[in-house]
Amino acid sequence: MSSKMKFSYYPGCSSQGSAKHLDESLRAIAPKIGIELEELDDWNCCGASVGHIGGGSLPNTALTGRNLAKAQQQGKQDVVTGCAACYLNTHAGNEKIKSDVKLRRQVNDALSAADLSYDDDLQVRHMCEVIVNDVGMDKIREQVTNPLTGLKVAGYVGCQTVRPFSSTDGGGNYDTYEDPDFLNDFTEACGAEAVDFNLKTSCCGGSVAVMSPDRTLHLIRDILQAAEDAEADVITTPCPLCQTNVEMYQDAINKKFGTKFNIPVIFYSQLMAVAFGMDPDKDAALKRNTIRARKLEKLAKK
Amino acid sequence: MTAALPETAENRYDLGFARWVRDNVEGGDKLSLCMQCGACSGSCPIGTQMDHGPRKIIAMIRAGMKDEVLSSNTLWNCTSCYRCTVRCPRGIPVTSIIQDLAAKAVEFGYADKKENALFAKSFWWSTSAFGRTDERLVTARYYFSLGFLEGIRRGLANLKIALGMVRTGRMHLGMPHKIKDIKGLTAILARAAEIEAEEANDEL
Ligand code: SF4
Ligand code: SF4
Repeated sequence: MSSKMKFSYYPGCSSQGSAKHLDESLRAIAPKIGIELEELDDWNCCGASVGHIGGGSLPNTALTGRNLAKAQQQGKQDVVTGCAACYLNTHAGNEKIKSDVKLRRQVNDALSAADLSYDDDLQVRHMCEVIVNDVGMDKIREQVTNPLTGLKVAGYVGCQTVRPFSSTDGGGNYDTYEDPDFLNDFTEACGAEAVDFNLKTSCCGGSVAVMSPDRTLHLIRDILQAAEDAEADVITTPCPLCQTNVEMYQDAINKKFGTKFNIPVIFYSQLMAVAFGMDPDKDAALKRNTIRARKLEKLAKK
Repeated sequence: MTAALPETAENRYDLGFARWVRDNVEGGDKLSLCMQCGACSGSCPIGTQMDHGPRKIIAMIRAGMKDEVLSSNTLWNCTSCYRCTVRCPRGIPVTSIIQDLAAKAVEFGYADKKENALFAKSFWWSTSAFGRTDERLVTARYYFSLGFLEGIRRGLANLKIALGMVRTGRMHLGMPHKIKDIKGLTAILARAAEIEAEEANDEL
């Protein structure tokens, strides 16, 4: 990889709320690994997991259509996002719009109401896939000036970062659905230890955990238990909703199941920022975790 | 004296339902490929909380059990984990079928009071009003759509979480974030809804 790779960057709504620390740490590490993130102009919500129910199927797809139309105006470069739900919706919507002539016509009909159109052949990619396929682990290792020796990390991938696209051509064929390696590879490139963690692709409950936590707390309990059994100091994840769910419900789980979990849950990009010797607050955004990753903070360069 | 009509396939089951699903539900055209192996239900993280697992839902669709399918909580407990979809040996997009059935259940009045339908409404309100999801307002609106007392109860139960989010700067206290061209987005969504209504030939 020689020159910088430029992307239209779609941060997604959680970047302005619960997953600010994903956005901040991604923007911080990007230049170090040869990536230029040009924010997608005036991007809108992707529709998440319930947009089709609240707004109907076509209006929901039109949300993606508008983002793609804005991306088309921005240039030929690929669209990249760090959010699992944004990726799922935008990638799936893009593939459908590109392959289904009738849908493309309908979406463009809707877009014309705001003088927009999408007829390009853009690629919508997940940041993890870009790091695996375009950046590569060598480039990550090169940037590590502060190896995280002795830190035990449970790599929790979750669902939509890999399912249902990580083993498809459109999804870049970057890892498996059931037992992906990429997150552990990130951890080890940072000099930390990736512990065996057998629930790495189990579901945290997703948006059902937000709506009706009582139905899904046991799922998060199992994930935390597996991380504790593996003696992990910290859980890493690529997914905004996984990060928030697994972190914020620990009190409720302790109350319901009589457990004593207090395990920090951070993004892989926060881990990288620390390993790259960057600022623990400004770049790694470690202060944004409600359960502070103390051991990682001690390893950080001040 | 008139005896009650005996229950027959004709009045208990809607034999046109499978065809309707095939024509109107995303992925429904693949239903006939299902061999009832159960890999989907065996993979489902939340099957224990469902009235019927995904395999059974497919069997029920094919049997024409319209009301049971559209009012089952399966549609609302599915977390979109896509485990079933990637494991199905017949390549059936199980998640899409269940998720689109959820939208149909709302459209045809089977789910007015379901928690998740109320959540979806709060969500769409924010998305269409601001172009963005405002996590605070969606959650608050959703809690109170469950009733005033339930709204207070849930708000209090999650107060500590909310304060933690405010403390770490992950929940802001000002105005909602809004896209610049909200006028354009509103026009797009209105036109999309119009097209969807024009195209609708999916009388249930
Ligand atoms: S895994 Fe596929 S074929 Fe097997 S029961 Fe489920 S939908 Fe049918
Ligand atoms: S996508 Fe839904 S139905 Fe399929 S396994 Fe996951 S929760 Fe179960």
